[in-house]
Amino acid sequence: MTEVKVKKESTDPVDIENRIKELCQQFPHGITDQVIQNDMPHVEAQQRAMAINRLLSVGQLDLLKNSNGLLYRLKDAQSTSKVKGSDTQEKLVYQIIEDAGNKGIWSRDIRYKSNLPLTEINKILKNLESKKLIKAVKSVAASKKKVYMLYNLQPDRSVTGGAWYSDQDFESEFVEVLNQQCFKFLQSKAEAARDSKQSPMVQRNSSFATSHEVWKYICELGISKVDLSMEDIETILNTLIFDGKVEMTIIAAKEGTVGSVDGQMKLYRGVNPIIQPTGLVKTPCGLCPVFDDCHEGGEISPSNCVYMAEWLDF
Amino acid sequence: MLENHIVEINNVNKQMTAQEVRLCGLLLQEHFGDVVEKVGTHLIRSGVLTLRALAHETKLPLDLVKKSLCVLMQHGMCAFGAGRRGPAGPVEYHIICERILHMLRYPRYIYTAKSLYGDTGELIVEEILQRGQMTMSSTVKTVADRLTHNMPEGQSMDYSEVVSAFSRLVETHFLQRCPPMASAESSSSGADNTPLPAVTQPTEPEDHPECYKLPYINLTGQGKRRRSSEDGEADPRAAKKAKTDSSERGDEGIYWQVNFQRFHLHFRDQAIISAVSCKLDQTSSEIVRTMLRMSEVTTPTHAAFTQALSANEIFRALPSSYNIARPILDQYLTLLVDDPMEFVGKTGDSGGGMYVVNLHRALANLARATLESVVQERFGSRSARIFRLLLRKRHLEQKQVEDFAMVPAKEAKDMLYTLLSENLVQLQEIPKTPDYAPSRTFYLYTVNQLPTARLLLQHCYKTVGNLIERRLYETKENKRLLEKSQRIEAILASLQATGAEAAQLTEVEEMITAPERQQLESLRHHINKLDSSENQVDETIFLLESYINSTQAPR
Repeated sequence: MTEVKVKKESTDPVDIENRIKELCQQFPHGITDQVIQNDMPHVEAQQRAMAINRLLSVGQLDLLKNSNGLLYRLKDAQSTSKVKGSDTQEKLVYQIIEDAGNKGIWSRDIRYKSNLPLTEINKILKNLESKKLIKAVKSVAASKKKVYMLYNLQPDRSVTGGAWYSDQDFESEFVEVLNQQCFKFLQSKAEAARDSKQSPMVQRNSSFATSHEVWKYICELGISKVDLSMEDIETILNTLIFDGKVEMTIIAAKEGTVGSVDGQMKLYRGVNPIIQPTGLVKTPCGLCPVFDDCHEGGEISPSNCVYMAEWLDF
Repeated sequence: MLENHIVEINNVNKQMTAQEVRLCGLLLQEHFGDVVEKVGTHLIRSGVLTLRALAHETKLPLDLVKKSLCVLMQHGMCAFGAGRRGPAGPVEYHIICERILHMLRYPRYIYTAKSLYGDTGELIVEEILQRGQMTMSSTVKTVADRLTHNMPEGQSMDYSEVVSAFSRLVETHFLQRCPPMASAESSSSGADNTPLPAVTQPTEPEDHPECYKLPYINLTGQGKRRRSSEDGEADPRAAKKAKTDSSERGDEGIYWQVNFQRFHLHFRDQAIISAVSCKLDQTSSEIVRTMLRMSEVTTPTHAAFTQALSANEIFRALPSSYNIARPILDQYLTLLVDDPMEFVGKTGDSGGGMYVVNLHRALANLARATLESVVQERFGSRSARIFRLLLRKRHLEQKQVEDFAMVPAKEAKDMLYTLLSENLVQLQEIPKTPDYAPSRTFYLYTVNQLPTARLLLQHCYKTVGNLIERRLYETKENKRLLEKSQRIEAILASLQATGAEAAQLTEVEEMITAPERQQLESLRHHINKLDSSENQVDETIFLLESYINSTQAPR
């Protein structure tokens, strides 16, 4: 009677893990628990679970869920190395931030998505920041709000405010300079048209400038460190319209002509105001800050008005 | 039966604001004195009153009240009508406030008459404004005398020249006949149904067909120069003569008054023409001037636009100094129509194109420019940018205002809140939930042009009141000095007339010391400045009033 030695397959945990990893590589879409069981029928459920958990915690396996059940997938080697040394929670947070793309995500939203307490979140975020995996960008909409995004991503325009903001500061002087330059350009064009003494229709048409022309002029001037698009110039021209210095018309243009957007072009023209400053503002009362408190016989009255006295002696 | 004959008084005051009442009081006091001011102000505040009630409440003697009412009626500022108890009861009086406010504009009327019809026209309008109503013959005589007084020795003004200036003023409707008052019959019988004459209905002057008809008067001669030495004796005789004169001349009972409406139309046209000239160019403004001139008499008051004129007519009516070809005229008209301000509109294609002047739109644009100008001067150009932005886009959120105006958030908030506290900008709440919770409500900023214009109009009234009060204060402070200088001048004049030596004259002149002279000079400067700024504010008042009336007029 020979004793049959049944060679027991080693249930070394490491072997189990390696086997699972090989299976994952065989099925890149992911393997279910059932597949692992089929492959290693001798491994007990508990050992299997331990191995899987270990792989998950080390970060070499991804846990996914589909309609049939849980799937295990081999994680990308590169990303594995990145988060090596971090624990599950950190990985989860990192995942959420990565998903937010270049718009970034607020810390409170991270909390909702991961269901982790606030203190934990803050610790993790500090950790990730020190590891230079994520960065905080101050949103221009609410200055106290910080959004987090991956370190190497460019923040989206809506967060930084676009060309008019540099480091969260609205560049008022830059806008002012552009404003004046555009106005000077349009004004000189209008004057040139007026001096040309041609028929009125030709005069008016030649005093118009398309937004494309203005854009080219500003680019050639070279006063802007940032690249400005035509839409940026149009927002500047709109502020000139609201200053009452410029008027705009839209004409239909053939597709393909330079500067046309969706078959139309915007034309701008410098104009003069239709009245002189009105009579009321030529008196001190028209500009007086305490106008409502002034009445005869009171502390402030026309008889003892300081502003009037100064104005009369002028 | 009496009920059938009760006639309602139209034209009863709309409610006057406190500032308007204050301004009316100041104007009445300046032009007519304290008694009329007291009577007038009380009547404005009370609405309609009978003579007895008025005398009782103002505690003035009855004859003074009667005289004040006569003065006010002479100038068309007070009207009467049947009282609450019907034509049999006592007559009730009420004030027409806008006529009192027109007194601010007298200098402008006189200046317009001068620019259109020369010195003669100026003096005619000035005399009629001063007296309220005058017959044609007395006006002609007075004006001729005044003109003669200023002419060099030996010359005098012929009556016919003055008559021709007067007729031109009437032809262009600047002067009109006062509506005749039907004589009141004694209302003894209430039983018989004879209808009582409509004495109580205040009629519009234009309702009478003879409103602009010149009477035939028999007036020839020349202006008389008044000698200063004959002053004392000449006057009473001249006065008696004047009374008999008008009955001889043939126009007794036909009184003339200034047609304020016509002057206002003229000012409105002037404003539109200058706006076109600023925005476009001189030639376009001439075209608009021609169009307005052609439709002067055919356009009803407060119309939104003039009668349609064809391009052919406009071409024929252009002044000959503007030698432009027909196709060029068409181009100008097209440009006027295309302009965003929409001064001129095209209503048809017959006759080379039918064009109208958009009066209401032009007034609205002028009013809007006035509002923007006030915001700009008072709060700065960035606040003005925000204000214009809200006028164009109607309703905007805080964030949108910042983005469109390109103003940093903190400053934009500051400016919006300042404008809001001055009531130039309003806040509209749009709730998302019925409980108006602040976090779930949209807050939109908006500007309403008409209420803002009304607000600014009240500011203007208050400003003019302030300027008048300051002027009165300055005069009062320096009363002693003014009286002294007047006495000195009188002494000087009498000395000169009796032929005094130069030494005596200088001695008298030196009675005013140098610092006093300087003080007088600066006082004169102050008064002039205050006067001219009253006129400037009146221009703003005119624009805003025209806009408000044009918007509210029934069409």
